[in-house]
Amino acid sequence: MMDIETVAVIGACVMGASIAAHIANAGIPVDLLDVVPKQGDNRNAIAEGAIAKLLKAEPQPFMHPKNARLLTAGNIEDDLGRLAQADWVIEAVIEDPMIKQALYQQLAAVCRPDTLISSNTSTLPLGVLTRNQPDSFKRHFMITHFFNPPRYMRLLELVASPELDAGLLNTISAFADVKLGKGCVLCNDTPGFIANRIGTFWIQTALLEAIALNLTVEQCDAAMTLFGTPKTGVFGLLDLVGLDLMPHVLESFKQTLPPNDRLSAIAAVPPLLQNMIATGLTGRKGQGGFYRLQPGANQKIKESINLQNGEFHPSEKFQIKGVSHQPDELRTFLTGSDALNRYAWRVLSDTLTYTAGLIPEIANDIVAVDTAMRLGYNWRYGPFELLDRLGVDWFTDQLAQEQRPIPEFLAARHNLYRVHNALLQFRDKSNRYHPLQRPKGVLLLSDVKRHGSPLLENPSASLWDIGDGIVCLEFHSKMNTLDTDSLSLIKQSISKVEQDFKGLVIYNEAEHFSAGANLTLLVPAIVQKDWETVKSIIRLGQETYQSLKYAPFPVVGAPSGLAIGGGCEILLHCDAIQAHAELYTGLVEVGVGLVPGWGGCKELLRRWLAFPKRPGGPMPPIAQTFETIGLAKVSKSAQEARELLFLSKNDGITMNRDRLLADAKTRTLALASDYKPPEPAVYALPGASAWAALGIAVRNLFLAGKASAYDVEISRQLAQVLSGGDTDITRPLTEQNLLDLELEAFLTLVQQPGTLARLEHMLKTGKPLRN
Amino acid sequence: MKNVVIAGYARSPFTPAYKGALAGVRPDDLAAQMVKALVHESGIDPNDIEDLILGCAFPEGEQGLNLARLVVHLAQLPVSIAGVTVNRFCGSSMQAIHIAAGAIQMNAGDAFICAGVESMSRVPMGGFNTLPHPELYKNYPQAYIGMGETAENLALKYHISRAEQDAFALTSQQKTYAAQQQGLFSDEIIPIITGSGERIDRDGCLRPESTAEALAELNPAFLANGSVTAATSSPLTDGAAAVLVCSEAYADAHGLAKLARIKSIAVSACLPEIMGIGPVAATQKALRRAGLTLPDIDIVELNEAFAAQSLAVLKDLPIAPEKLNLDGGAIALGHPLGATGARITGKTASLLKRENKQFALATQCIGGGQGIATILEAI
Repeated sequence: MMDIETVAVIGACVMGASIAAHIANAGIPVDLLDVVPKQGDNRNAIAEGAIAKLLKAEPQPFMHPKNARLLTAGNIEDDLGRLAQADWVIEAVIEDPMIKQALYQQLAAVCRPDTLISSNTSTLPLGVLTRNQPDSFKRHFMITHFFNPPRYMRLLELVASPELDAGLLNTISAFADVKLGKGCVLCNDTPGFIANRIGTFWIQTALLEAIALNLTVEQCDAAMTLFGTPKTGVFGLLDLVGLDLMPHVLESFKQTLPPNDRLSAIAAVPPLLQNMIATGLTGRKGQGGFYRLQPGANQKIKESINLQNGEFHPSEKFQIKGVSHQPDELRTFLTGSDALNRYAWRVLSDTLTYTAGLIPEIANDIVAVDTAMRLGYNWRYGPFELLDRLGVDWFTDQLAQEQRPIPEFLAARHNLYRVHNALLQFRDKSNRYHPLQRPKGVLLLSDVKRHGSPLLENPSASLWDIGDGIVCLEFHSKMNTLDTDSLSLIKQSISKVEQDFKGLVIYNEAEHFSAGANLTLLVPAIVQKDWETVKSIIRLGQETYQSLKYAPFPVVGAPSGLAIGGGCEILLHCDAIQAHAELYTGLVEVGVGLVPGWGGCKELLRRWLAFPKRPGGPMPPIAQTFETIGLAKVSKSAQEARELLFLSKNDGITMNRDRLLADAKTRTLALASDYKPPEPAVYALPGASAWAALGIAVRNLFLAGKASAYDVEISRQLAQVLSGGDTDITRPLTEQNLLDLELEAFLTLVQQPGTLARLEHMLKTGKPLRN
Repeated sequence: MKNVVIAGYARSPFTPAYKGALAGVRPDDLAAQMVKALVHESGIDPNDIEDLILGCAFPEGEQGLNLARLVVHLAQLPVSIAGVTVNRFCGSSMQAIHIAAGAIQMNAGDAFICAGVESMSRVPMGGFNTLPHPELYKNYPQAYIGMGETAENLALKYHISRAEQDAFALTSQQKTYAAQQQGLFSDEIIPIITGSGERIDRDGCLRPESTAEALAELNPAFLANGSVTAATSSPLTDGAAAVLVCSEAYADAHGLAKLARIKSIAVSACLPEIMGIGPVAATQKALRRAGLTLPDIDIVELNEAFAAQSLAVLKDLPIAPEKLNLDGGAIALGHPLGATGARITGKTASLLKRENKQFALATQCIGGGQGIATILEAI
């Protein structure tokens, strides 16, 4: 199979440029070409401007700003010849078949026959794009539809013609999967492919029903969120993608779908939406949308639109009480008689029945549809998975009661998925079940769990056998916060692995690896001035993490999402980290008035002391560690975490979330042969003079208004730890000395009202207090 | 007494730290290229040079070891030239000139290269390893006071308003830009060749687009409610400068072009927390030693560490605007700490000749609470 070593993207619009940025995130050089501007001397101005915008865009398209250096700007008049070197050329120009086809003729002339040419079209069918093109072109042309923003949205829809070279399809699928981290879904060549077809139907239904039932946007968004759609809800999502997109999308579906398609039937743009777009209410990029932020006395005020009259009012925090994500509660909610109950049922039942009728039109199986909606619209459950959660029989009963037609796919009322011999299977239209095959190199803990019970378990964590002598420690408390149960299970796991296994991976499949220590355990002790309890919690964490570090087997951390505070500290004690590319890690304790107390200061300082590229002398590692912890720096990617030394040079980064556990396991196995625990670090620290140096720096920040009075106090304690306390550069310190200093600083801070105020504020609001 | 003269002056372009064209150039290379060119241009026989006296405010890292001696080798000068690195913070390279003048008086040599260099990109202000004395810091913290805070102290003590500081900074920008446009720096700048072969021959810190309105909008840089901003402070800068100091007899005997004669020199000290006022006492000492009064001075180069600091000095040393910093100053041009003393002394000497005047003063403040001054006279 050919390697993809260079890529070109034609069309430096937001989408084209962001795709180029994400390919650069994989370390692949990209030519980004656009037309020559009509004015000015710089013929590459459009592509160059796009790269400059990428560096300022939020959320950040690059995993590290240095990745921008892999992008080369150009134009399609002067630089088309460069495409002869490209292994993959992605067309992302305007959605006009004539323009695209003319471009393809140019591409066919310069590209190699084994170069894949693909279109990022979201609306035009493959048949339209390749009309009148020779078979030789069709052999290396397909649709690769990325979702916006490409770095963060995991779905890549692939549409291939029968003429496409199977080898090319495999090459691109493997590259997109492993290098770009995408979940590739093969779609049939139908309008809007999978995700946008269902997503648009869902959004439009949700909008029309909200207007019809006279509900507020807050109510509707709260109701949708119950079913596992993102927190933005439908209206927040429309604000995010831009309201002005909707008329184009709806019109495109109207043009391309048969008139009897249910999406065609509801595709008229409601007058409210037309008026909003006409008055500049196009969403977050415009003057607001269904929600907007207005200037207030102290902070911005969130307002919501009234769907009936278009007027804005201050948003209400609407909570649906007594309904969790549990299926029985959801069923009760859906059968309620209030307007909001009826709304949720109408939107869901319409969307799910519409979807059930689209197999096999849009995709060969339900797995493709569920994957597309999970990865392309961030639904927690795909539509068929949601149907299974609600119960197909219950759902069809409800439809029958309302005398609505039951989709053929659901008529037999069988489950859509089942577990058979511990393997997940999915159902086809003929009610036959097929095993769900994971690609090679994908290992999911959720699959492992079907095979039996955990080796160890308590309410906060479990230990699973993932095969080949390796076990997986899984946290599963709320936000995976760490408490005494988590620490206890780590200790038990160490004994277990010592006896029966070769190595340990710390991994879970929640959105976030760990939000750190559970503050709700700490605060009552502080309020009661029970310093002994606080001390014992700190000592327990320190001892546990040290045991992990010096265990006689390799420990590999495999984090994804947030890994902060104690969640970062546990990673710092691992032998190696295999991180998902989207890793947001940092020692953020100062935000709650504390310093890292479970060895975070000790370990990050050790890394900086050993960092070969640091300037010489005793202060640079101390100053770097002080800055990283003092400013509570959190990486915005695994690449950035490496720069902050939360990841070392030898730690690995996995782009595809589904491959993380397998990669971590492979790493653990590699370390397990001939494993020796690390040598304890010895620290030579300057003591009071370093403390004074950091004190000067913090004082200057305070004077400049860049640090608060209590920031200064926390910084003094942090400086005390990192300078080595009452020591001298000639006196070697042990890891235990550093841990003792962490404990001392921690205990000093918890006894101050400023820390309690920060802790309570964080628990109450989820945001840090600057006192 | 022997007469001591300045017989050559040159400097590198001054460019902003981190983002400027010289950020990628090692300070030892920067100094060496510049010294080599000065030696060549002055026409002196390098074998006659006694010593390379090199000022540097943070002599560590790439500026470390005995930088001066290493620059001798890098500049491919005769191995017989000695080298000494001098640190009096911002006054380092003016101090280098003073050391040479003293040595000449002591018959300890006839010709000296007095240079200074600072790469504020590559060795941060404060150095890599600031390790203050903990007891001194506890008992007398102002010994380690930040420079911006001292400027704020002077603004308060001398009642210098934000508007006055902004106006001073704007004038500095305008004068410097005008001088650049008129080519008044071209004779003194030695082009520097970077590692990638790029030729850097133009100062890069200037902000000719500055306007009073834009300056007025900036936030204070050092005190939350203060008046000193980034625009009224000299920028972090990379650069090097050097002068050739020799006995007048040597210069005459070898046909060297004499720019000015050193009339008197002085250093002084003051409270660290108002270090910016240092030039006042140093100038008064130097004037007394020269037998002159301030009105006798025709041309002044007063280093613009901060607008507030310069304005405070001007309250005690009323220097007419038409005599002050004729080609602009450090707020616009930049202030590579170790190099500034050689720049302003060399500049003063060349201005004395260009303007055909009698007496000139170069003076600057020094972190930690000091001042340094040199009075020159026309030949």
